[in-house]
Amino acid sequence: MERNGSGFLTETGQLVRAVGRALGITMRNFFRKPVTLRYPDVKRAYPDRFRGVLALTYDKETGEENCIGCRLCEYVCPPQVIKVEMLKAEKRNYAKTFTLELYACEFCELCVQVCPTDAIIMLKTFDLATADRREMLLDKDRLHALGLEHDASWATGNRLRDMQAPPKPAKAAAGAKGDVKETTE
Amino acid sequence: MAQQQVVELGYGGNERLMMNMGPQHPSAHGVFRMILTLEGEAVVAVEAVIGYLHRCHEKLGETLTYVQYPSIASKTDYVAAMTAELAYVSAVEQVGKVEVPKRAQYLRVLVAELQRIASHCLWLGTWCMDMGGALGGGATVFLYAFREREMILDLFEALTGARLLYGFHQVGGTRYDLPAGWDARCRETIAFVERRIDEYEAMLQGNAFFLVRTQGVGTISRELAQEVGVVGPLIRGSGVNYDVRRAKPYSSYEDFDFAVPVETAGDCYARYRVRMTEFRESIKIVRQVLDGLPEGPISSRPGVKSVGQVRVAKGEGYAPIEGPRGEVGCYLVSDGGPKPYRLKWRGASFTNLSILPHILPGHKVADVVAIMGSVDPVFGEVDR
Amino acid sequence: MTPIAYHALAAFIVLNAVILMVTYVTLLERKFTARMQSRIGPYYVGWPHGWLQPIADALKLMMKEDIVPTRADRWVYNLAPIAFLIPCVLIFATIPFAPGLGVADLNIGVLFFLAVSALEIVGLFMGGWGSNNKYALLSAMRAVNQIISYDLPFVFAALVPVLLTGSMRMSTIVDAQQGLWFVAYPVIGQLAFLAFLVATLAAENRVPFDILEAESELVAGFRVEYSGMKFALIQLGEYAHMLGASFLGALLFLGGWLGPGPAWLGPVWFIVKAMLVFLVVTWVRWSFVRIRVDQILAVSWKLLLPATIVLLLVTGLVVALGGPGGA
Repeated sequence: MERNGSGFLTETGQLVRAVGRALGITMRNFFRKPVTLRYPDVKRAYPDRFRGVLALTYDKETGEENCIGCRLCEYVCPPQVIKVEMLKAEKRNYAKTFTLELYACEFCELCVQVCPTDAIIMLKTFDLATADRREMLLDKDRLHALGLEHDASWATGNRLRDMQAPPKPAKAAAGAKGDVKETTE
Repeated sequence: MAQQQVVELGYGGNERLMMNMGPQHPSAHGVFRMILTLEGEAVVAVEAVIGYLHRCHEKLGETLTYVQYPSIASKTDYVAAMTAELAYVSAVEQVGKVEVPKRAQYLRVLVAELQRIASHCLWLGTWCMDMGGALGGGATVFLYAFREREMILDLFEALTGARLLYGFHQVGGTRYDLPAGWDARCRETIAFVERRIDEYEAMLQGNAFFLVRTQGVGTISRELAQEVGVVGPLIRGSGVNYDVRRAKPYSSYEDFDFAVPVETAGDCYARYRVRMTEFRESIKIVRQVLDGLPEGPISSRPGVKSVGQVRVAKGEGYAPIEGPRGEVGCYLVSDGGPKPYRLKWRGASFTNLSILPHILPGHKVADVVAIMGSVDPVFGEVDR
Repeated sequence: MTPIAYHALAAFIVLNAVILMVTYVTLLERKFTARMQSRIGPYYVGWPHGWLQPIADALKLMMKEDIVPTRADRWVYNLAPIAFLIPCVLIFATIPFAPGLGVADLNIGVLFFLAVSALEIVGLFMGGWGSNNKYALLSAMRAVNQIISYDLPFVFAALVPVLLTGSMRMSTIVDAQQGLWFVAYPVIGQLAFLAFLVATLAAENRVPFDILEAESELVAGFRVEYSGMKFALIQLGEYAHMLGASFLGALLFLGGWLGPGPAWLGPVWFIVKAMLVFLVVTWVRWSFVRIRVDQILAVSWKLLLPATIVLLLVTGLVVALGGPGGA
């Protein structure tokens, strides 16, 4: 920091002003409301499309399992965490076993997107912390139980595919974004 | 290779100290090892060791299909995931000659620019924290910058459902469309961020402490920048007007009016000015996109129904993207199947890091962190 | 009570009070800086304001494993925290909290304070050397450089009130401020207080002069190899020194225990003023980035030292021409 006589006062003046400005901003922030959210006492509102823990669903009208064991989700999953065995029956197929390794899941939502029957969905919760890793290996019963416990995200396979597909004239007349009105928060 | 021998201190002039900085280090922007040879307090030589974050992205590109890979692509430059995904899908679309609808192109520009703002918020925060200390004034700017970054991440969460790694792009367009009310929320957020950027500038700009740490430090001359081949704010801070968005426009960037900031000084302060101006220019672009967003489909291909549904004709190509750190791109070689034959990532931070052995010698140890921060590397891109 | 027993009791009380105050001043700092950064500080332990957080931290540090690096110089390494802590706490011996209420109100009080507070460098360097760690040594060397450079302006700035009073006894200095606090003296007082604050920042290794502990480069500097109770002692010493300098500032410039109200309110005012000085230092600490060590030394030798010498000479001139004070 070289200083000479003539520039000294102006430099000092600038320094004092800059210091004052920085201190002023810090003090201004002192009086602003903190942005901290006191989790877990206070939880924030998750958006509609939140990608949380995965779950399997039942059909709303008939109460049957939605999953037909087609294994599309197993094939599309990038880290290959889903394993499905199909059970053939007369009218439709079911999934005999369905395991999902949540500890390796990427939460990329590709399985949700690919599912033809909206069977696998994501929930608006991520709170599955546990001390035992084996609890994160979700089997079919656990997945169905999770689906009943928590709120589902807006995104299901059909809705996502409808959003991506080029709008057909018939669909455009009915409303291109699907049947459920979506809010942002 | 680094010598294992350590010569203990002395100020006899010739006795040097080899000090290891990293790979676990509060300041390195990731896992990065620098073996510094110090003479007293001045750095004499640098040996950089990378590879601690190697996760086989290029091999994964060969085993995963075009449907599966975009969400993995976001993990290369995890701080600016949108531009990383865009690099991959642009390469696929170029090789496969896939049309992208106008609305999808505008949406891509929108998220890329929002991502640039968020990434620069992180850059500012971590840089000031490196210079100011986790328990000092730097942490204040860090928390302010992250407060603003969180708002943009909230926007992304409302759009895609995820905060950091999105999976927003797909071959042929985007996966998600704007939900109701997002437009208004986005405008509010960027207006707020713009006011806060004024605050950061006021706090840092005239501040003698900041200026004395950044002016004249880490100067990259124009010739050196072009010789080594650095990109992004580094080369624009050294006087070369190269921005991929202008040089090889992609995704409708030619429709938008924005300035490309160029500074000639080449030091950390010049790069700081470039990035601060980029903040404002990105905000301008976001407003233009929101005003001019056309209606239409968001993807030229139907939604994902099976894992191998995208097939790309035989060919090869490279599509560069201007990420927040510089030119990012994928060189793709396709053999006609559902997976690439070869995927090569060009990471901006990889070439930017190679400037370090040229500019660090002669500086003091304290300047090393200031320079690393202004280079702003993300090691997902470096090690892939 | 014999004088020895009286002094021993007083020392015991003051020591405990200082340690308690130091512990809780860390909480004050954390809450204050948190608000400046748009967040709340500790709140969970000791709901709702984190009152028990310092106790929890102290207990945690006591329960940690005591690690001594294999090739560390055992004696130097183990004695360093104590050698660091002792001067930092000893400075409180000369600070009177009220007229007559103090451990020892020496007639060379200010000199004792300034001399003893500079002794912490020994403990600091012992820590850096004994750790057998390049980072620690680098930081300790920077620290010695810095503290020596800034002790001179610190002393000169502290001497301005001494000149204006004519005595080094702390209670006399406070009594001399009955009319006007020294910080309110035209020009001289404000400049001296400013120089004192800047020198305090540097002598305490606070940002913008905290290059020695630069977390992002040197990972806690000379303290890097210390954990558990030894680390607690070093932290205690640092904050005690910080607090001691705040008390000195409040005493020399802000009128010590003088304030409206009854006499027993004096110590309360004193503590309030010391906290004010502490908070101003904290406020500055959390607003700026740090500057490099050569720049720190440049500021000291090229700016602060000449400025304080000139200030001292001007004060001497004022006193000689019939201003307040004498000798």
